[in-house]
Amino acid sequence: MNIESNWDRLSSTVHRAEEKLGRMNIALAEAFYTNYETTEVSIRNSEILTQDRLQDSGVGFRVVLHGNKIGFACTNSLNERNISETASKAFSIANAGPKTPMFALPDSQKPTSVYGLYDSRVEEMSLEDSVEIAAQAIEAAERVDNRVTVKDGRVIFTYGHRGILNTIGVDREERETRAVIYLAASGKHNDEVTSICYAFDFTRRANLQPQQIGEKAARRAIAMFEPKAIRTFNGPVIFGPEAVSNQLFDVLIDALSADNVRSGHSAWSEKLGQSVASGNLTVIDDAILEGGFGSRSFDDEGCPSKKTCLIQDGKLESLLHHATSAKSLGAENTGNASRSSGELDIVGMIAGRGYKTQPEIYPSNLMIQPGTETRNDMVEDMKQGVLIDSMAGFAQKGSGVISAQLSRAFHVENGEIQFPIKGSMVMGVGFDWLKKISSVSRETERFQNAILPCLQVEDVKVVGS
Amino acid sequence: MHKCLESKKSSQANLVQIRGQKRRMMVYAARNGSPEEARSISLSGVGIRVLVDNKSWGFSSTNRLDQNAVDLTLENGLKLAKASSRLRKRATPYEPCEPVTADFLTPSRKPLDSASIEEFAKIPLEACSGAQDAKGHLAEAKAACLSIEDDKYFVSSEGSCIHQQITRLMLFVDVIAKIGSVICPASENVGHSGGMELFDEALPYSIGKTVAEKANRLLSAKAPPSGHFTVVVHPTLCATLLHEAIGHPLEADLALSGGGFGSQFGKNVSSELVTIFDDGNIAGGLGRFQFDDEGTECKHTILIERGILRSFMHDRTSAALTGVCPTGNAHAWDYSVEPLIRQTNIGLEAGAYSLEEMIEGVKEGLFLDGTFGGQADPSADFTFGFQSANWIRDGKIAEQLRGANVSGNAIGVFKTIDAVGKDVVLRPGACGKYQFAVQGRVVPAIRCRIMVGGTGGT
Repeated sequence: MNIESNWDRLSSTVHRAEEKLGRMNIALAEAFYTNYETTEVSIRNSEILTQDRLQDSGVGFRVVLHGNKIGFACTNSLNERNISETASKAFSIANAGPKTPMFALPDSQKPTSVYGLYDSRVEEMSLEDSVEIAAQAIEAAERVDNRVTVKDGRVIFTYGHRGILNTIGVDREERETRAVIYLAASGKHNDEVTSICYAFDFTRRANLQPQQIGEKAARRAIAMFEPKAIRTFNGPVIFGPEAVSNQLFDVLIDALSADNVRSGHSAWSEKLGQSVASGNLTVIDDAILEGGFGSRSFDDEGCPSKKTCLIQDGKLESLLHHATSAKSLGAENTGNASRSSGELDIVGMIAGRGYKTQPEIYPSNLMIQPGTETRNDMVEDMKQGVLIDSMAGFAQKGSGVISAQLSRAFHVENGEIQFPIKGSMVMGVGFDWLKKISSVSRETERFQNAILPCLQVEDVKVVGS
Repeated sequence: MHKCLESKKSSQANLVQIRGQKRRMMVYAARNGSPEEARSISLSGVGIRVLVDNKSWGFSSTNRLDQNAVDLTLENGLKLAKASSRLRKRATPYEPCEPVTADFLTPSRKPLDSASIEEFAKIPLEACSGAQDAKGHLAEAKAACLSIEDDKYFVSSEGSCIHQQITRLMLFVDVIAKIGSVICPASENVGHSGGMELFDEALPYSIGKTVAEKANRLLSAKAPPSGHFTVVVHPTLCATLLHEAIGHPLEADLALSGGGFGSQFGKNVSSELVTIFDDGNIAGGLGRFQFDDEGTECKHTILIERGILRSFMHDRTSAALTGVCPTGNAHAWDYSVEPLIRQTNIGLEAGAYSLEEMIEGVKEGLFLDGTFGGQADPSADFTFGFQSANWIRDGKIAEQLRGANVSGNAIGVFKTIDAVGKDVVLRPGACGKYQFAVQGRVVPAIRCRIMVGGTGGT
């Protein structure tokens, strides 16, 4: 049976279950359903380790009773009886379930058109093609330097559908494709193994560039040969796009989530309209970006997608909302209900994402507006400082405290990169860093839910060993 | 599954392993005293792994359980394995396994299915109310209770047929205290393999109260300093250190990929006070299984014995590659993904010191408590977060400090251990190595030297 007829069958069964719910004594009901096929080739130690083909489909029902009591139940056993039982289960859970006084779901609004979310070539990609792409990436990395090993890597092609249906008029489906290549390389030189260096691409199209990504990962690894320790240092730091995506991104979305503002523990709870960052920082959430990895025509509750300016020239203009947060704060819904948030929340990771969960607030494509300087200009203008391309650590929720180990970083002196740094940490408060951004690069890199430039921040503490 | 195994197609493979699973999960969460989430998850599916030409693996999974879908899944697995067979330079050896027939059920005094929805929903509410009774400046108290009931079948072309029913239960409590722009989080988790008896001893109300009191206390504390310190590490944090810093580098797939412990076999890699094991049979441990997902029996494996590296954690391939017996460490999070080398319940054997004695021996240092999780790479470099700290001055606990991160290289840090505590606790843990897993950790307190990345001064 092909994916189209599977989808049609799932969709019509879900519609019948939802209709049945609509006839019960409820206030609202919603069904979110997906069907995806994924081919995944994994690389370990410069060899192809495994290749997987995963098929997964399922449906999650949210039932809201009068008085806003909510229940959620999901299943991936998709016969008529199981789907109908799961809908009833959501109803019975709602009876003993939580109350959300200002609960809301989007109603029927004109959908947005977003282009470039589907590429038929992803669907046509054969298993052999995927294996070949992984092999090319490994070869390309090893060709750059035979001291480089691709420790870990993935080539992933996914295609399928997502659908959302509620009892107040939302009924939407979307077909989409995704392609991901991700490599983690490390080099060995003089018996010293470098830290792991990543190169990746997240796209909607089939045209992954394995050679380019392989070479990039390998070059990054050999740049880490002969690292030196540095003394503890306070001064300018250039955070490369990957480093920005590591912890500063977490600090930003933690503060921008209207749910955190609603519960009062966002650092920006009362900052709307005020300055929260340096004047050269502009941040946008753009769910309608053509071909964007996080783009979609409707969010995971069915709200039509839009483009929202969050921070304009350092001033906080808007938060990220789903229907309930928008209603309770009296704001416009920005369409940021997401069932695939990348938050490292342990319950979320155990219970699962997608149809297995209710939506949370998360960005679609969070974009930091690029500046005018090139990355090279930024390095050339630096008298003494540190360039951090990648770091591993944590940002503390609420407070924005970041402390992270430098995994790919360089000492810069007199406008030139001098040597890679080993055994150091960077620490500070993310919110303070945002206020001390002195420069934003012209170049950007794409991530799963973000498009980010380099940021130069003044007065950052790097602890040496 | 048996039909699929007997089909003609499956004879194209050297080995076929079929894993069928039904999983039921319940999540009840509360926030600031009100119920926040009630969720029921019901999943089922089949994952099939095949070895072709003695060198290439293919894996395919589906949530559809009709015979056609299962046969198609086998076919996909075979296609995948063949697609990369020509690219594989070497054979993939595979340690043979005696066929087993077994039926295992997680022992429990109060089975999960004996609890009513109301009883279950009350647990996070009690934790929240404990947190709120701590008063102070609590901005948020969240608690989530989660149960996992797994019904797993494993059949293989070697003739094994294993049925395991695993039940697990966890409670996560997270609080945030706040005054003005000062924000202090704290959290505590409990969890075990078993049933509702978890809460006979670990009372949700007291857990909530203790965590909230800690967050409140941290509001008036200073940030910790940065630099290298002698630290006494509380078991909750030692659990993360053991899992991230020593556990991961001892997983054969990571160890044998170069760096870290790979070349250290039989050598002294740690302080002689250190004996580390992995044990899939620890009663109550979240990583308790009778068999792993390749049909190998789980056992007690000594990894480091008084500082000497004795064994890695193995699956059947890594065991064959290094000429040892598999250790029962091949585990898959669910039917949809293939087994990987994972820790079950990793442990550090008790030493001779009480916590007080460990602190007494420190002139100036830090006592680190509570975990915010962490990460490590194959070269054994790690970073992880602690929730709170105290200065230790002249052998005594001094002023309270907030949390931050520590980092270093595990091999270096474990060589500096000069005291191991005599009281061992069983902790719940979680890990995200390529796929998710919940695991146990058996840990005492330790004393060592480590790099602390705080934003404060001395």
